[in-house]
Amino acid sequence: MERIKNWVTENPDLSFAILLAITVYTFFAITEPLFFTHRTGYAIMERFAVLGLVGLALTLCIIAGEIDLSIGSNAALAAVITVRFTDDWGAINALLVAVAISTSIGAIQGYFIAYLRIRAIVLTVGTLMLLRGVALFAAEEKTVMLTDFRIPDFISTKMLGYFSPASLLVIGMFIVVGLFMTFTRYGREIYAIGGARKEALASGISLQRPMIIVFAISGLCAGLGGAIIGLRSGTAQALGLQYLLLAGTVAAFIGGVSILGGKGGVIGAAIGTLTVNFLNTGLVFNVTPAFMVQLYLGILLLVVIMFQTGSRVFEERQRRSQLLDDVDRRRSILSDKIAALRRPSG
Amino acid sequence: MTDTALNTRDNLSLIQRIRRDYSPLVIVMVGIFLLVFVAGAVFTDDFLTWFNVKTIIRDAALVGIMAIGLTFVTLSGNFFLLSMKEIAALSIICFATLMSADWNQWGPVEGDPTTWSLTMTFLVAFVATMVIATVAGALQGALIGLGGNPIVVTLGAAGLFFGIGSWWSDNLVVSYRRPHGAEWLGTGSFIGDIPNITVAFIIIAVVAELTLRHTTFGRQVYLVGANRAAGRATGHENFGMAIKCCIIASVCAAFVAVAFSGQVSSAHVNYFSSEFGSSGDMTIMVIAIVMVGGNSIMGGYGSTLRTSLGAIFISSIDNMMVLNGFNSGARVLAVGLMIVFSIIVFALVRRGSRAVE
Repeated sequence: MERIKNWVTENPDLSFAILLAITVYTFFAITEPLFFTHRTGYAIMERFAVLGLVGLALTLCIIAGEIDLSIGSNAALAAVITVRFTDDWGAINALLVAVAISTSIGAIQGYFIAYLRIRAIVLTVGTLMLLRGVALFAAEEKTVMLTDFRIPDFISTKMLGYFSPASLLVIGMFIVVGLFMTFTRYGREIYAIGGARKEALASGISLQRPMIIVFAISGLCAGLGGAIIGLRSGTAQALGLQYLLLAGTVAAFIGGVSILGGKGGVIGAAIGTLTVNFLNTGLVFNVTPAFMVQLYLGILLLVVIMFQTGSRVFEERQRRSQLLDDVDRRRSILSDKIAALRRPSG
Repeated sequence: MTDTALNTRDNLSLIQRIRRDYSPLVIVMVGIFLLVFVAGAVFTDDFLTWFNVKTIIRDAALVGIMAIGLTFVTLSGNFFLLSMKEIAALSIICFATLMSADWNQWGPVEGDPTTWSLTMTFLVAFVATMVIATVAGALQGALIGLGGNPIVVTLGAAGLFFGIGSWWSDNLVVSYRRPHGAEWLGTGSFIGDIPNITVAFIIIAVVAELTLRHTTFGRQVYLVGANRAAGRATGHENFGMAIKCCIIASVCAAFVAVAFSGQVSSAHVNYFSSEFGSSGDMTIMVIAIVMVGGNSIMGGYGSTLRTSLGAIFISSIDNMMVLNGFNSGARVLAVGLMIVFSIIVFALVRRGSRAVE
């Protein structure tokens, strides 16, 4: 018990995320009789396969103090490439090519952001449009489709009760990235340039390497996510997958990242994504239209941001008033002393 | 970037000034760009005709007005609003719902004993739309001004507004009958053969430019955008500024929504999404115009004149590509390339001289 208490005080964001996830799950488990079943568990994990990747990518970007707006376009491009070339090259090759392209797009973005010293939002809002154009080009402005439907079946095969090849792959990805972020120097560099960029640069960390790594991972996740969506549904649209950015950002923020960077982690990303998935799946049980889900996600994001900003403003105000109190106290001590000095002479 | 505004009075010729202020790489890149544009203009049939020029400006008007509104946000150092098209979507639903409502059921109006006139209905719908847009803008502005990141706040707000719009309209097309009071704004023209929307674009561009150049508010926008710490020290907090600028942007988006609704006599939340339009997402188009026009995305440098020219430039490139038979994919690609190109050029210009934040 003591140990849990310590852990909670040490990780307030993570414990809040866990609490929120449990609350959402319990709410739907009580109100919807079918929610607490094996099948729903499998459905949630299937959603996790895609949204988890995007949540992970955005978590890493926000840890590094940046945000990747082009993630939806990158995913759409990968989906189009995978689906279009599966018939010619086979699913595995098409997937590998698509993911390689997405990863290198991410790495190039990271390089330019570091080289030009611009904010990532500035560049990625441009690449958002550019990659849509490339995807439209690759799809020849049509909805591309698979002809061989054994591949979607394979990707969604049920394994070990709740999992499918896709979700197992994504869980593996989470573990690898989590180990990378915690135990390697490169991972710690990413935290450093996010939390305290000036200090990190002054202490000799190059901006380029962590930026390239972060955006390459972001591109990799986007590409993999897009490819999985494309192969699973058998179709891909160049203009689709725009909703990923909002859902992924909500997941990242629930998972405890701070917009100032340097905070959060892979476990948080997983829990945040699960919360969003619980909400999504639960709302589907309620026969809620898709746009209402967007409404709820928007409100959720605004509330989280309001809490974060509010607590920051509050802390700042408290610090300032403490500082003023401190000054007042010192001044009164000083004036007391001066008065004491003057008294005997006067 | 050396501040050209301060250097206009020294005795250098234009070419000398350009050579001093910009690196050769940038001059060559911009030169090639302009050369391609001029060559395209000359060699495309029917491009340089009065009719086509009118078409280009009319096409630029809708996105242009939105971009002018967004320029205020960008100049004040609050990046951009990712919710432009969602504000427009909410506004267009609000407007069309009120236009299609049966006002006569509330009884005759004073001074108009038989029926609600078309103008009256339009005015009520218009004012209500503007009020909603103002509230939407103020909400985002307040969150941004309190210190929320503009991108994340407006991303959440975008989901919220889009959801409200879809829920209100039940995700259906809301249509209303001609004749209606918005026709004159959408399709009418009172000066010869120039459409009213073009006139509105020009008026808004001029008013915005004068506001920025010659009013206290305009100078405050530049101050807060260029140096937030200096702004705070002189009593210009970003809180009020963010709210004002977001309201301006939202009202511009709502105006565009009203004009567009007047053209098609209907409304749907997807009218401004890339699923509907051929040339991509409205929000991104608007941001593209602000960037291609050459406004500094970090704030404090730029003008609405640049934005208006950017709108006309993008519109003419689009027009040129349509005349040459390009598909929408190539056009989206071209706009994307233009944005990335201008980002890189401006970053290179800035890198040399201004301290990196």
